[in-house]
Amino acid sequence: MTEQANERPILLEARKVTKRFGGLIALGDLDLVIRQNQIASVIGPNGAGKTTFFNCITGFYTPEEGEIWFDGHPIQGERPDQVTARGIARTYQNIHLFAGMTVLENVMVGSHANLLASPVGAMLRPPVNRLEEDVALEKAYRLLDFVGLGEDGDTLATNLPYGSQRRLEIARALASDPKLLLLDEPTAGMNPQETEATMRFIRRLRDERDLTILLIEHDMSVVMNISDQVSVLDYGRKIAEGTPEEVQQNPLVIEAYLGAPAEELVTGFLDS
Amino acid sequence: MIVTRLQQVLGSMRPGATSGFVAGLIMLFLILIGIPINIQSLALFVLLLIVLIFGVRLARRAFDAGETFGYIVKNALALSVVAALVVFLFMSLINRWQANGISVKTYFDAVSLTTMNVLSGVPESELHPNPEKDILTGEYPEGAELRTNPMRLTFDSETGLRLKLGLTGDAWVDLNLGIGGFYGFMLLIVVVGMAGALIAWGANVANVGRYRTQTAGYLSDNLIAHWLVLLLPLLLFGFLWLTKGQDGIDPIIRIGGGGQEVQLLLGFAIVLFGLVAIRAAQPVDWGLAYPVRVGIVAGLVAGVAALAIWRIVGDGRYFIATDGSPRGNELLCVGIVLLVAAVAVVQNYFALRTPERFESQLAGTLALAILLILPLYLDQYQNDVLTLVGINVLLGLGLNIVVGYAGLLDLGYVAFFALGAYTYAFLSSNQVLVDGSGNPTGLKFEGNDETVIRIAAWVFTTAIVATAIVAGGLYLWRRSQAARARRAADRRQLLDIDPRPSGGVTLLLTVIAISTSLLFAILLDNSSLYRRLFDDTSPFFIGLFAGVIVSGLSGIMLGIPVLRLRGDYLAIVTLGFGEIIRLLFTNLRDFTGGPQGILQIPRPLPENASGPVSYLSLVYLIFLGAGLVAFFSARLKQSRTGRAWSAMKSDEDIAQSMGVNLVQSKLTAFAIGAAFAGIGGVLFAARQRNIFPNDFRLDVSIEVLSLVIIGGMGSIPGVIMGAIALIGVPEVLRELSTYRILVFGALLVTMVIIRPKGLLPAPTPQLQERARALVQRHVSQEDRSP
Repeated sequence: MTEQANERPILLEARKVTKRFGGLIALGDLDLVIRQNQIASVIGPNGAGKTTFFNCITGFYTPEEGEIWFDGHPIQGERPDQVTARGIARTYQNIHLFAGMTVLENVMVGSHANLLASPVGAMLRPPVNRLEEDVALEKAYRLLDFVGLGEDGDTLATNLPYGSQRRLEIARALASDPKLLLLDEPTAGMNPQETEATMRFIRRLRDERDLTILLIEHDMSVVMNISDQVSVLDYGRKIAEGTPEEVQQNPLVIEAYLGAPAEELVTGFLDS
Repeated sequence: MIVTRLQQVLGSMRPGATSGFVAGLIMLFLILIGIPINIQSLALFVLLLIVLIFGVRLARRAFDAGETFGYIVKNALALSVVAALVVFLFMSLINRWQANGISVKTYFDAVSLTTMNVLSGVPESELHPNPEKDILTGEYPEGAELRTNPMRLTFDSETGLRLKLGLTGDAWVDLNLGIGGFYGFMLLIVVVGMAGALIAWGANVANVGRYRTQTAGYLSDNLIAHWLVLLLPLLLFGFLWLTKGQDGIDPIIRIGGGGQEVQLLLGFAIVLFGLVAIRAAQPVDWGLAYPVRVGIVAGLVAGVAALAIWRIVGDGRYFIATDGSPRGNELLCVGIVLLVAAVAVVQNYFALRTPERFESQLAGTLALAILLILPLYLDQYQNDVLTLVGINVLLGLGLNIVVGYAGLLDLGYVAFFALGAYTYAFLSSNQVLVDGSGNPTGLKFEGNDETVIRIAAWVFTTAIVATAIVAGGLYLWRRSQAARARRAADRRQLLDIDPRPSGGVTLLLTVIAISTSLLFAILLDNSSLYRRLFDDTSPFFIGLFAGVIVSGLSGIMLGIPVLRLRGDYLAIVTLGFGEIIRLLFTNLRDFTGGPQGILQIPRPLPENASGPVSYLSLVYLIFLGAGLVAFFSARLKQSRTGRAWSAMKSDEDIAQSMGVNLVQSKLTAFAIGAAFAGIGGVLFAARQRNIFPNDFRLDVSIEVLSLVIIGGMGSIPGVIMGAIALIGVPEVLRELSTYRILVFGALLVTMVIIRPKGLLPAPTPQLQERARALVQRHVSQEDRSP
C-alpha cells in the first residue's frame, strides 16, 4: 500500500464488530478500514465469517457489539434498504436475480432507492414521474451497455447464460449509484478466460466509475492481482492484513489455509 | 384456348374461393345454431362481419406474399361470391322446402323466425310452411293461406320503378341499395367481402399498422390507396347522411330490417375508419396538409355525434335503437357515442406516437364500443350476468395486485369485499337498523338528520379541497424542480431532486390549504348547496368513497400483523381474517342486522328514475369501475412500485437489499388491493340491494383466486378472461342444464393442461426499443450542446 493511498479518506470502518449465532462466534472484534477508491479483499477459509461480515455491513444481520461506520454515519442496525440508500450495493455468492422480470427491469429495480414516484404517482403518472421513469430506463440501458448486455434488455433474467447473469447482478448493484460495492465471489464458477475478463472489469469499475470495492474471493490469483489491501479472516477473527505481498508472507495465513506444520499437529494431538 | 385461359384465371382464384366457402359455411353454421336472441336485429351485421374478416385476412396474406392488386381483386371477388352463393343456395333451399309444405323448424330447431326475417326481409307471419297437399287430389286444402315460391323477379308496372326483388310481394326495393331483401343480402355479402379485402389492401399500402416500417418503399406508388382510406369515412358519412331521415321528408334510401342499427354501425365505422385515415395520413405526402386531413376526420367524428343528438332531440327517433325505452336512454346513447368518439381521438393521438401498437389500439376501441352498446341490447338477466362478471373483474384485479404482483397469498380477500359492501349498506340502506333497546343505529346520509349531512359535507369539502391544493402545490413544486433539472446540462440530475419542498413552502401550502378549504366549506354551506345536494342525489358516491377508505384502511390493518409472514402462514392468517370479518357481520346485529342482513339498499340512481335507466346506470358504473381499476393496475405494474412488488415476489431479501422498503411495499399492495375490493363491494351491495353475511363466505375468496390463476397471474387481460370464463361461462352453459357442471369441469381441466400459465399470461414488458430511443435522443442532445 502506497503512502498516497493511506491518506485517502476512510469510506467504511468496522470497529470491534462481533456477531454470534448462539454460542458460535461468527465474527469476533473485527476491525477493518476501507479507504475510498480502493479494491479491498477479504479472504479466509470456508466458514471464516466473510459472508457474515458482508451481511453485517448490508444490514441483514445486526452485530451484537461494535460499530460500522460508512461515509461518516453509523449504519449498524439499519435495514438493508436504508443501507442501500446510503450507497452500499452488493452481489451474492449464489446468483440472486429476480426471476420473472426482464434484464432491464432487474436493473431498474436497482435504482429503486433513487426514484421518488409514490404509488399514487404511479397510478396518475404526472409528467415528473414520466420523466423519472425515462431517466431510470435510460440509465438501466446504459448500465447494461457498460457490462456488455446491451442487446439482452428484454430477455428474462433467468434465461441468460451464467456469466451474463453475474454481470447483470453487478449492473443491478450499480443502478443504485453506490459508493461502495461488495462483491461476493464474483469469479465463482468461471473459467480462466472469464476470470481474467472479470478482473479487468473490476478494475474498470474502480477507475471509470470511481467506486470503492470490497470483495470476497477464493481465487488467490484474482485476490493477489487486483487488491490494494487484503484482510484475512479465520474463525471470525482477522489474523492478517496488508498488501497482497505482505499477506502472502504471513505464517498465520499459511497456517490457516494449509494447516499447521505436521510436527505441531502431532504434538498438539499428543498433548490432548 | 379460351378454356385454358379460363382455367388459369379460375386457378388463381382458388384461395379466395376456398376462404369464401369457409366463410359461407361459418355463416350458415351461425344461422343454424341460432344467433343469440338479443342481437337478432343485428344478425345481418354479425354475418357480414364474418365475410369482412375473411376479406381482410385474404388481403393481408396476399400482401405478405407480395401479390399484385389484380390478384387481390380477383380473389376478393371469388371469396365474396362463393360465400354469398353458399348462403344463397341454402336459403333458397329452405324457401323451396317451406313452399312445398315442409317446416324447416322441425329439422333445424335453432333457426329462429326472427333471424330468417332479418336475413330475407320476409315478415315473420309469412314464414310459415304451406300446408301439405291432399294426396288424392294433389291440391292444397281449401281456404289455406298459401305462399308462392318467392324465387322470382317481377317488375311492378303500377308503381313504376318498384322492383319486386324479394322473397314475397311485400319486400320491395325502392331505389334500394340492397340492404334488407334477400337478394340484397347476397349482394351485400359480395360488396362487404370485396370492400374488406380492398380496404385492408389499401390500409396496408398506406402503411397503416404493422406494415409501417416494412414497406417504406411502397409509398409514392399508391396514392390511390391513401385516398381510398380517407374517402371511405367520407363516403360512409355521406351514406349515413342520406339515410338519416328528416321531419316530414322520407329518407332518400330506405333501409331494411334494423335500420337504426345500420346507422349506429355506420357511426362507429366512420369513427374507426377515421382513425385509420388519420393514421394513414401520417407517413405520406398527398399534397393536402396533415392538419387539414385531421380536420376532415375530426369533423366527421363530430358530425356523427351531432347527427346522433339531432336525431334524438329532433324527431324523437333514436340513433341507437332502444325499442322505445325511456328518455334516460337517449342521454346514455349520446353519451356513449361521444365517449367512443373521444376515446377514438385520444387513442389515435397515442397511436400516432407509437405506431406499432396501432392495431391493438384499434381493436381496443372496437371492443370498447361493443362493450358500451352491449347492455342496451341485453335483457335484464343477461345484464345481471354481465354485472356479476364486472364485479368479479374488479375483485380479480384487486387480488391480482396482492397475489399476482406482490406475491402475497391472501385467502381472506373476501373480507375487504364485505367491508366495502357493508359500509355502503350501513350508510345508505332504507331499513332502520336498531339495537337491543330499539334505538336506531344506522348512519344514513339521506334522511332527516341534517346535522349529519352537513358535517359529512363539511368534512368532504375540506378534505377534497385541501388535498387538491396540497397535491397541486406539490406537483407545481416538483415540476419546477424537474424543469430546473432539464435545463441543467445533465438530464440525469433529475434523480437528485429533493421531493420534499422546503419548510417555508410547506408551511405556506398548509396555511393556504386549510384556509381555502374552510372558506369553500363555509361558502357552500351558506349557499344551501349542501342541503340540496344531499336531498337530491343518491348516497352512492358517499358510500363509494367511504367504502374504499374503510376497506383500504382495513387492508393496512391486516397488513401490519402479517408483515413477517410468508407463504402458507400468510395464507392461513388471511383466511382467518376473512372468517373473522364474516362472523363479526353475523354477530354485530345492531349494526349489520345479523344473519338477516341489511335490506333495501338503494341503487346508484335515485329510485324515482325509471327501471331500466337505474339498472343500466349500475351496469355502466361497474364497467367504469372495472375500467378504472384495470387502467390503474396497468400503470402500477409499469412503475417503481410495480417493479418493487415484482422483485419482492421473486425474492424478498434481495429486493430489500436493492433498496425496496418491504413494509411500505407490502402495506401498499394490501391497501390498494383492498381498496379495489371495496369498490367491488359497494357495487355489489348496490346490485344485490340486500346483503347477508353469507354472501361473503370463503368461497368468494377461493373463486376470485381461481379466476386470477386461471386467467393468468399478474395479467390484466388474463383476469378479465378468467372472470368471463369462471363466472360468465357457467351462466351461458345453463342452456345445457344437466351437463353444465360436467362441461365446465372438463373445460377447466383442459385449460389447465393446455395453458398451465393461465388463459392469457402476462407478457414480458418490452422496454429495449424505448430505452435505445432515449439514449439516442440524449446522445443527439449532447452533440448539439457545445
